[in-house]
This record gives sequence, structure tokens and C-alpha cells, in this order.
Amino acid sequence: MDKKKVTILLQSGDLDKALCAFIFANGYASLGTPVTMWFMIWGYNCLKKRRGLLTLFSRKPDPAREGTYRVLETDNILQPMVEMLNRGGAQHLPLSRLNLMGLGPVLFNKMLKKKCIMDLEELIKSADDLGVKFKMCQICFDALGNSADDLIVPNVEIKGVAEYARDTMEAHVNLFI
Amino acid sequence: MAVDKDINVVGKSCPMPLISLAKEVRNLMKGQTVRITGNDPLFEESIIEFCRERYHEIVDTTRDGKIVAMVIKI
Repeated sequence: MDKKKVTILLQSGDLDKALCAFIFANGYASLGTPVTMWFMIWGYNCLKKRRGLLTLFSRKPDPAREGTYRVLETDNILQPMVEMLNRGGAQHLPLSRLNLMGLGPVLFNKMLKKKCIMDLEELIKSADDLGVKFKMCQICFDALGNSADDLIVPNVEIKGVAEYARDTMEAHVNLFI
Repeated sequence: MAVDKDINVVGKSCPMPLISLAKEVRNLMKGQTVRITGNDPLFEESIIEFCRERYHEIVDTTRDGKIVAMVIKI
């Protein structure tokens, strides 16, 4: 039982897929299996804090904290622009089907609430509480202009593909969502 | 039946019963018992899976309509 391991890679930024990934992560973790979740491209959107539009351009990332994760010298105007168009936030993700210009997720969350199913943010918090490890792809931080102190879970490691390869080869289950 | 910990997840759906049970089991010692009560259609199945995977023992199962109460020995 102690030797089994699970890795889940979340690539998609859709609410339904992120919900899937986090329900699996919670399920495996509550059965006592060590779970590592990886986040790439749009997948990190569910861990992002939702920021106001006005704070995006005035924000200066702290070089002391971010130096190892993000090469600030090569940043340009495109990074804040990506952030502006792709603000993320666990409660603001779109659905992959029946999005209805933003109405879909609102109704979807209502349905979950009515049926007493946890919503995405609660699932993320509970996964963190159950000891799920969160790891992120470094190029997403670099190219898409994110910061490591801008996430709703505190313990996120920023790693590269070598670590992912090692993790998945050790794991018994690898899900790519 | 006297138990060390009582968990009530009536009205909560999958995966909430498993998560709350896993969180409570962390604080209990081996040999202690916990009672979990729920009415999710998959409740009993998932608790049986939980116990099989983590080597816990199901001591007692009582049904009252849709509500199932299970006593688990850690």
C-alpha cells in the first residue's frame, strides 16, 4: 500500500476537467495514496488568485522571491496582457461545453451546491489538507507571466520536465487531463 | 455501541464522506473505532473500498431507510 503512487497532470483550464482532476486527487489521497498534481499551460488557472484588472499593470513582482522561477529581464508588455485576458480563479473557470457566454459555470456551480457536492475551491483546499503535492511547470510561469506568490495554495513547487518524467515513471497511475 | 469518534455526512455526496473520514482517521490511534453515518447512494460501497485499501475493519453496519451507519476499527 505504501509503494503505490499517483500523478495527475492538469493541462486544461476548463471547470469540468479541473473538477475531474481534483475529485480524483481527493479520492486517491483519502485512500492513503501519495498524490502529486502537475499543472501546465491553462491548468494553473484554477490555483490562481483572481485579481482586479486595475492591479495587473501596477504590480511589480518581487525579484527576491521570484528570481528562481521567472526571468524578469525578458518580460515585456505581453505578460501582463496574457494575465489580463486569462485571469483564472477557481470560481471563474469556463465550461468546455454549454458555457453559454459565462452563464453555464454559474448554473453548474448552483447545481453542485444544491446536490451538496464540493465546488472546485473547496476541493483544492481539501486536497491541500490531505497532503496532495502541487508542482508546476516552470515555462508556464516564465512565458505566461505568473508569480509563485499569486496562488491560493501555499506549497507549490516549480519544477521542470525531468522531475515530471521521474515522478511519472515511479507512479502506478498517471492521469493527463 | 460506544465509539471514539462520530462523523455525520448525511446529505453530502461523493467524495465528501471519504474526505471527512480520511481527515478524522488521521487523528485516531490504531484500535480505536469511528462511526460514520451517511445517505449517499454510493456511501456504503466507497467506505468498503476505503477500508479494503487502508486495511481497516468494518465492525458493524446498520441501515435505517436510506441512512447507513458504519462502525470502523482503525
